[in-house]
Amino acid sequence: MAWYDEDSWLTAAFAPNIATIAVTLLLALVLPFLVHAFIYRAQSPAALPTFLLIGPSGAGKTAFLTLTECNTPANTHTSTAPLAIDALLPDAHPPSSASFRSAGDPAYERARRFLLLDTPGHGKLRRLALAQLTSAANIRAIIFVVDASSVADEAGLNDAADYLHDVLLSLQKRYTGAKTSKGPKEIPVLVAANKLDVFTALPPHVVKVSLERAITDVRKSRAKGLKDSGAALGGTDDGLDDERECLGEGGEGPFEFRQMEEVGTTVDVQGGNVLGGDGSDVDKWWAWIAEQL
Amino acid sequence: MLDTFEILTTSGVVLWSRTYVPVGANVIDSLIRDVFIEERIVPQPDDVGQKPTYKKDGYTLKWTTAKDLGLIFVAVYQSLVHLTWIDKLLDNVRALFTGLYSEQVKEKKASTIDTQKFTPYFERQIQELEGQSDASTDVKLTPPSSSGNDSAEEKEHAPTFPLLQKPQRPLYDTSAESTPVVTPSNSRPTTPGQGHLIMAKGKPGQKLSRRDRKKVAATSAPASSGDEANVKRKGKGATKKNRVWGEFGADEEDPDVVLDYSQSDLRGDGAEQETLEEIKPETWGRKTGKGQFVLKDLDEEMDAIISEQNAKKEKSQPSSGLVGSSLGAIGGLFRNVVGGKTLTKEDLDKSLKGMEDHLLKKNVAREAAVRLCESVERDLVGLKTGSFTTIESTIRTSMEKALTKMLTPTTSLDLLRSIQTVNSTTTRPYVISIVGVNGVGKSTNLSKIAFFLLQNQHKVLIAAADTFRSGAVEQLGVHVKNLKELSKREGGSVEIFEKGYGKDAANIAADAVAFAEKNGFNVVLIDTAGRRHNDARLMSNLEKFAKLAKPDKIFMVGEALVGTDSVAQARNFNASFGPGRGLDGFVISKCDTVGDMVGTLVSMVHATSIPVVFLGVGQHYADLRGLNVGSVCRLLMS
Ligand SMILES: Nc1nc2c(ncn2[C@@H]2O[C@H](COP(=O)(O)OP(=O)(O)OP(=O)(O)O)[C@@H](O)[C@H]2O)c(=O)[nH]1
Ligand SMILES: [Mg+2]
Repeated sequence: MAWYDEDSWLTAAFAPNIATIAVTLLLALVLPFLVHAFIYRAQSPAALPTFLLIGPSGAGKTAFLTLTECNTPANTHTSTAPLAIDALLPDAHPPSSASFRSAGDPAYERARRFLLLDTPGHGKLRRLALAQLTSAANIRAIIFVVDASSVADEAGLNDAADYLHDVLLSLQKRYTGAKTSKGPKEIPVLVAANKLDVFTALPPHVVKVSLERAITDVRKSRAKGLKDSGAALGGTDDGLDDERECLGEGGEGPFEFRQMEEVGTTVDVQGGNVLGGDGSDVDKWWAWIAEQL
Repeated sequence: MLDTFEILTTSGVVLWSRTYVPVGANVIDSLIRDVFIEERIVPQPDDVGQKPTYKKDGYTLKWTTAKDLGLIFVAVYQSLVHLTWIDKLLDNVRALFTGLYSEQVKEKKASTIDTQKFTPYFERQIQELEGQSDASTDVKLTPPSSSGNDSAEEKEHAPTFPLLQKPQRPLYDTSAESTPVVTPSNSRPTTPGQGHLIMAKGKPGQKLSRRDRKKVAATSAPASSGDEANVKRKGKGATKKNRVWGEFGADEEDPDVVLDYSQSDLRGDGAEQETLEEIKPETWGRKTGKGQFVLKDLDEEMDAIISEQNAKKEKSQPSSGLVGSSLGAIGGLFRNVVGGKTLTKEDLDKSLKGMEDHLLKKNVAREAAVRLCESVERDLVGLKTGSFTTIESTIRTSMEKALTKMLTPTTSLDLLRSIQTVNSTTTRPYVISIVGVNGVGKSTNLSKIAFFLLQNQHKVLIAAADTFRSGAVEQLGVHVKNLKELSKREGGSVEIFEKGYGKDAANIAADAVAFAEKNGFNVVLIDTAGRRHNDARLMSNLEKFAKLAKPDKIFMVGEALVGTDSVAQARNFNASFGPGRGLDGFVISKCDTVGDMVGTLVSMVHATSIPVVFLGVGQHYADLRGLNVGSVCRLLMS
């Protein structure tokens, strides 16, 4: 049976068969949809780089987010849910990846866009924010907002240090736990000392030193603290997670943000204020964001 | 009087606010913290008829939410005044706001939306509701502070229109744009047209002096709401509506423009020192007419929006007809599989019952299980299920979230660090006392904590303040001997402080603290006598104990085995230390014996909002653990 025989498949394909017609029709109708779906999926815009806003409650995260979005800070209250917005870097800060392009260039406009993700800072809701940190694939950088006037007292400082410790620790875990030898892309952290307009606020370099000191304490007491109940209760838990990890170089001596560079995280401390008598001053933060873009 | 009304999102951004008297931001912050996050105050379910209230710093807050949009509407007023119409206001504002802005709010990726246009709607609502309720409730009737050229006529009728005072209040207005309707900026307090109209609408039965009525009738015909006039007005209002409000969404022409016009007229009047007689009736008529038509439009539109929203709500209730219900059922089934179903109380009830039983099986006290389920229900009613998720899985995730939130402590529970802080700031030792009912393992867990502290090179004094049960002191002595043995290598030191039996426990505790301070111990652990939580006499001793020993931390030991009783235990102990002092944490003992039935944890935390600090998981001194919220939740949900 050659291909030109009368009952070969090719002949049948050209003959006016019901089946042939049906198949052709089906193909003709469905194919465009498939092609459309394929093309549009492929072309869906590359996800924007995400900047995660994290930090204790009342630090001014939401205020900064609204400032970035509409150039004036809105009134805010304690957040209970995360919020993501499409933000645009102000003109004064050209993103580093497109610094040679001129304004108006579409590539420049694209580079200016980023996603700002605000998280609630209340103690009971931090777990969700930390989960974001490990799960969201596209996190470019983390902005840890802290109220520079509240770190002046012990309780506020400890709270902030605790949280920052957890954030840095999960970044370290992410780095050391990575499968590839090259290590995952690094995630820089900006410690944004907010509310510098307030009279009691500590200057940024003092904020840095006190946070480092407090994190040293946190690290020390975490190392000595009790194991948690995971393995003891469940028995079947992923035992690996239980292995305690220490932040920084083996957890010895005083902690410095510099130590984080070894695990692919640079930590910067910059001051600013979202609100304040003579307007807001967050240029340093935007400049930092521009550097990361 | 209403002080502040705010509309904010769950992510904490204030979308719209109206402030009459400034209220500190912390008032609403603490509402969010206490009610929405920590759930310390359980709101009454909506169908009781009353909106939930929350009191703080002399303010009363009432709120309502639009779950699917993530909006919270909060009204703040002084607790001293009694406002009956707040519930209605909240409902109406919610309906209005969701009607006008739901599209914009739903469109994510933006934090704020432009809500300036909302102010006039709100003002009208307030005026209407205030008008409906007894006008004399709490409006101050100050005489108009106008220039002296007001006629006697006007002065005379001013008091009958308390709403005329309205314009002066927005002095404190902080919202971006105040409404011209109620904020004439000149010194003339008249805005007579508006005042009359408001009363004419809101309170047809308002008593006017005969003279006033005559004047009103003469000057502004439409205001003297005769039937005929009403009809006419409606007709005109409708045409006007087309012109001014036709494209509200497009926001091209807004009420402010029109109102500004009439207002500028007013201002002109004020500038020229006219007496009332000099105002031409026609001018009045035109002006009032104008103002009124605009207001009328607002009213009609508002009513339309509100009734539309209400209708929507009605529709989402299951339809009663036979065909309707069966169709609805099929659709519901379908949506239940593919997702995208708007959840109602009925949908949730069955699955929640299952969830409740599941929790009960895990040894969660019924009360706690019911409350958890209620909180999940509050969380979910009105929400849409995500695509391809069933009700069951939605409930599951929500329940997991609720459990995590409940068990996660608000602040860090690092005992070592708080010891360090206290030791470095005072000469006093850090005092921890342990309370609990009989036989739950107070002494054992106290020894475990002591062992943990010894491992960290603390100098620990253990005070035997159980002077009641024979053998208690000796038992503690044995523990201390063992601990001494064990801690030799670690470098801590431990001693026992005992005064035999029959003495007053509170005094012994105080003595122990003094002794420790003198002898260089930096931590004191106080063992107390076990007591039934419903034994009022013994429980009352605890108050004195707390006063004398001034413990930095009071931990209550509870058994993982105990069932329903756990709630009452936790509550009674928490309340027994007198006002201003409660428990600081729970130690749950014998967790190794219950497998996955760790519900007691949940029951105790539920009853008191006090976190679990330690778990006892075995017979050895080292068998003490911190709480891993994630793993406990997994156990409970498995
Ligand atoms: N003086 C001053 N106040 C500020 C500044 N930034 C923010 N605030 C105020 O701080 C308060 C808290 O700000 P939010 O942005 O709501 O705080 P948050 O970090 O989002 O807090 P959570 O949502 O609870 O995590 C608000 O009342 C702000 O007005 C600032 O730079 N200076
Ligand atoms: Mg916030």
